[in-house]
Amino acid sequence: MTKKFYLNRRIWKRRLVGLALLVITVISIFPIATTILVSFKQQADITRKPPVIFPCDTPEQKFDIKACRWSVEGYQRVFAPKPDEGSLFGFKFTGNLLRIYIPNTLMYAFSTAFFVTLLASFSGFAFSRYHFRGHNALMAAIYAVTGVPLLTNILALYQMSITLRKNVGFFDDRMFLVFVYLGFFLPISVWIAKGFFDTIPRELEESALLAGCSTLGALFRITMPLALPGLISVFLLTFVNVWNEFIVAYLLVTKNEYKPAMFGLYDFLSQNIINLQVLAAACIIIAAPIVILFLFARKIFFKAMVEGAVKG
Amino acid sequence: MRSAKPRKPISYHLRKSLPFWLILPTLIVIIIVQVYPALYTIWLSMQARHATGWEYVGTQNFERLFGTGLFPESVGHTVIFLTGYALVTLTLGFVIAILLKQKVPFTGVYITLLFIPWIIADIIAGLIFRLMVTPDYGLFSGILQNPALFPPNGLSILTAARPAPWFGSFPFPPSPAMIYLILAASWRALPFITLLILAALQTVSHEVMESARIDGANLVQLTRYITIPLILPTMVVALFFLMLGGINGVGMVFSLTGGGPGTTTYVISYLLYVIGWGQLRFGRAAALALLIAAVNWLLILSVLRITRINDRSR
Amino acid sequence: MKRNFRSLFIILVMAGLISVLFACASPAPTKTTTTTETQVKDFVTWFQYDEKNDDPASDERVGNAYLRKTIPEFNADFSGKWNWVNVPKAWDKMTAELVAAVIAGGDVPDMVELGGQQTITYINNNALMDITDWVKAQSWYADFEPGAIKACTGPDGKIYCVPTAERPALVYVWSGRYPNGFPTTPEQFLVEAERLKSEGFYAWTYFGSTAYGGSGAYRMVWSLISSYGGKYDDGQGNMLLNIPENVAAITFLRETVAKGYQPETVFAGGFVEEDAFKDASAGAIPTGLFGYRYINPLTAPDGTKFDKGNETDMIDAIAAGEVIMRPMFAPEGNIPGCNLDIQGYGIPVGAKNPEASHDYINWIMSDMTRTIEYVIGPGAGFPTLVSAQSNPAMQTPFYQQAAIAINASQCSNWAGTLERPAEASELIMNAVYKLIKEDPTMDIATELQKAQEEYNANN
Repeated sequence: MTKKFYLNRRIWKRRLVGLALLVITVISIFPIATTILVSFKQQADITRKPPVIFPCDTPEQKFDIKACRWSVEGYQRVFAPKPDEGSLFGFKFTGNLLRIYIPNTLMYAFSTAFFVTLLASFSGFAFSRYHFRGHNALMAAIYAVTGVPLLTNILALYQMSITLRKNVGFFDDRMFLVFVYLGFFLPISVWIAKGFFDTIPRELEESALLAGCSTLGALFRITMPLALPGLISVFLLTFVNVWNEFIVAYLLVTKNEYKPAMFGLYDFLSQNIINLQVLAAACIIIAAPIVILFLFARKIFFKAMVEGAVKG
Repeated sequence: MRSAKPRKPISYHLRKSLPFWLILPTLIVIIIVQVYPALYTIWLSMQARHATGWEYVGTQNFERLFGTGLFPESVGHTVIFLTGYALVTLTLGFVIAILLKQKVPFTGVYITLLFIPWIIADIIAGLIFRLMVTPDYGLFSGILQNPALFPPNGLSILTAARPAPWFGSFPFPPSPAMIYLILAASWRALPFITLLILAALQTVSHEVMESARIDGANLVQLTRYITIPLILPTMVVALFFLMLGGINGVGMVFSLTGGGPGTTTYVISYLLYVIGWGQLRFGRAAALALLIAAVNWLLILSVLRITRINDRSR
Repeated sequence: MKRNFRSLFIILVMAGLISVLFACASPAPTKTTTTTETQVKDFVTWFQYDEKNDDPASDERVGNAYLRKTIPEFNADFSGKWNWVNVPKAWDKMTAELVAAVIAGGDVPDMVELGGQQTITYINNNALMDITDWVKAQSWYADFEPGAIKACTGPDGKIYCVPTAERPALVYVWSGRYPNGFPTTPEQFLVEAERLKSEGFYAWTYFGSTAYGGSGAYRMVWSLISSYGGKYDDGQGNMLLNIPENVAAITFLRETVAKGYQPETVFAGGFVEEDAFKDASAGAIPTGLFGYRYINPLTAPDGTKFDKGNETDMIDAIAAGEVIMRPMFAPEGNIPGCNLDIQGYGIPVGAKNPEASHDYINWIMSDMTRTIEYVIGPGAGFPTLVSAQSNPAMQTPFYQQAAIAINASQCSNWAGTLERPAEASELIMNAVYKLIKEDPTMDIATELQKAQEEYNANN
């Protein structure tokens, strides 16, 4: 009897836990769900007082699934499709978001993540494998330097960009922005990369060295491949951070052509934010790629997050 | 091995200086993008802008900053914000992590969905939360502004006045907008904290728990005497990360409340933005930035110290 | 697993490299084009409008369309000499960006469109060129209305910008909500407001939030305060808030807020408060003359819809007599006050081709049709040239209504002699908001005194 009761209790406990998790999950993705809902409404339903959650009411009925007035007005205004005979589907998207801002963001995020991963793997390896004078102090300094709020640092960087533009022929605003991002996201990445190198046993390299490999050879042939999963997570973490970054671009980017998506979102904020469906649609479009990336590479993200925080 | 002998001096030299060459690019980047601007900020904090150029004013920027009404107010708001933010996030993170550890069916799905908020940019998260409560038009404004549910006049989060403070001018209890800001910020930080705690929970060995349970410990006792002490260092690290992020994050205030209604959600980072880029008082902004930097360094040093202790205990 | 990672990594690296190549390669062609055509120089401008944005529902569609039309016209008229390149800037970021660029010696445009307190901020940061001699030598200088050129004059008596349009503040009123006419005194307003409240409407809606750097201080609040005979400065560059007139105006405003004569959106920022006027749930909206560009589509109290969704809605509603324009009400014996906002052009310090700006300004100012086109379009106000004011385009019902409001008021710029308008507006609006909305028991004089002392301590 008691055994059966115990089993029952366990099952009930598991069900309760499951239910609790379900409720928490629903609550936590609720804000996103409502935004998707808003993005598919038409202007007339947005400016209703009092607001309706589903645009499905008729004069007779409060909710009628057949009367739902879903609309892609918001997306239409973001994409701004125009008839164009040359392109594949007979029209092309002329909205700045898709044409300029998102490609910019992709470029910034890819280049920054690539260089951050490269440099962080070099110095992460060095910090992990060598103990030189001032090792710990340097590690701490790299981290501590991020303590100065970037809002005033940007003024210095802005000044720097102007000096460089005047004196350096090949200077490009986008290159400078990538460089700034590189400096912002390197410190934490160095720490994460060091953490990953720490987990790779030294013995492997030592045996490679004994077998005649040079130090760099051992680094590239033995250690790097083993550290790859960790480095990929550094790459992805930086990618997401750059994608989501707003304030630096907002204050540094001066040309419409160079705006990243997060700053481009500002176009839709404009003066009057009553066009909620457009704003919602723009938010969804900008956030979607990164959420999809996350869904596919969840474990890699977790790795970087835990590594960066706990060991770093 | 045959060629090892003549190559040895070069190789030895290379090995000795290799870490230097590996770290150098990183250092160059950090010095240009972080160290130089930080020094510039220090210089700037002692300057004031006049029509003709910069002028050295000593500590005047700091004095003027302390003289404004908004500075002490913003410090108060920041304290309230950080306390609420850390409290909500750590508590909920702990509860969710415990639930996730039970490994019920679909845990993988829950984890994936629960973590989506973390990936949403702060500026977008702020907008999403603003969309929900925009007076008259937000999805929840109909419910919140209903006088029957929230007497006497209904509740409009983005415009409701703050309650009368209990302790002098310290902004407690917080305004509805501040509570909402805390909830929105916690919503975004929660996944990260949950993950940290979950990772720490995995290190709590199953045997210890099982033997304690056999000894007759109930769930509360298990949590109190075994789980919490074991994950406490992680919780403290998480707390410091929350504080660091909370002090410096400006994106959400920027897009959710803009410091309003009135000045009720002016936190220190938003004040920095307003002084610097709204009023164009760069010298005073630099002074404020240095004050924030001091707090940041304190937090960073604490994190480093704690993690080092952790490392030793491992 | 490991192989998967490796291939993923290789793909990522390749993509990274390609994007870097793309980053370095693409600016090259733009550079060559500018160097080869040396005789045609760029005329760079900063507007808050974007000629490339043809979204018919964009807030800035009027300005966008104006630029889209005039840029090719200008380039045709000055072909071989100037090539107009417009750089769109977010309206609330342009001031900071220009000042930062001037401080750092960065790229500034040849010309900026400016208005309101921007002018003072620019002048005080030495961001604009002194164009006194050039302006005075132009044929249209004698034609200026005296008040207009004063708004472009710095404290040193020099001229820093060319005023193109005057944008006074006034009150847009649904005549159907005020069948007895819009009140002319605060007492009358309270009576009418109570009537409207009992009918289930709001008496008015306005910008009452602290958002956008306290810009509320020079919207409705200034109209009301100046109608009470109040002011923000002492005429010597000091802030002067704690005066009986200001206290009286804020006491009145506090009463209207407590009685709920306005929708809650008034305090939310983001200009959502305009929507209460759009559907006539609020009877009036004190705002700038330019407000018609943003406040649409409209539904009149009798249900008539003006729903083209652009600036013509308000103009149509005015022509139909549904909307009238009136001055702010003022206590017995006072002349209604209003904020006088000047829209104009300035040439930043460090501009590469100031001659291009000269050509452009002359192009606009010496051709009546172009002046009118600008004033009716993005200028959204009255022409600053006296001769243009009698133009037939200015005799439409819209401008006739506006003239009724303006001729009955005495307009002045809110900032007066205050040299740091950005800081002042923030302090004033925070104080006013606290007094009317947050804590209606607070002593008005004390709070105003506090704000005033804080500002003056920094003089």
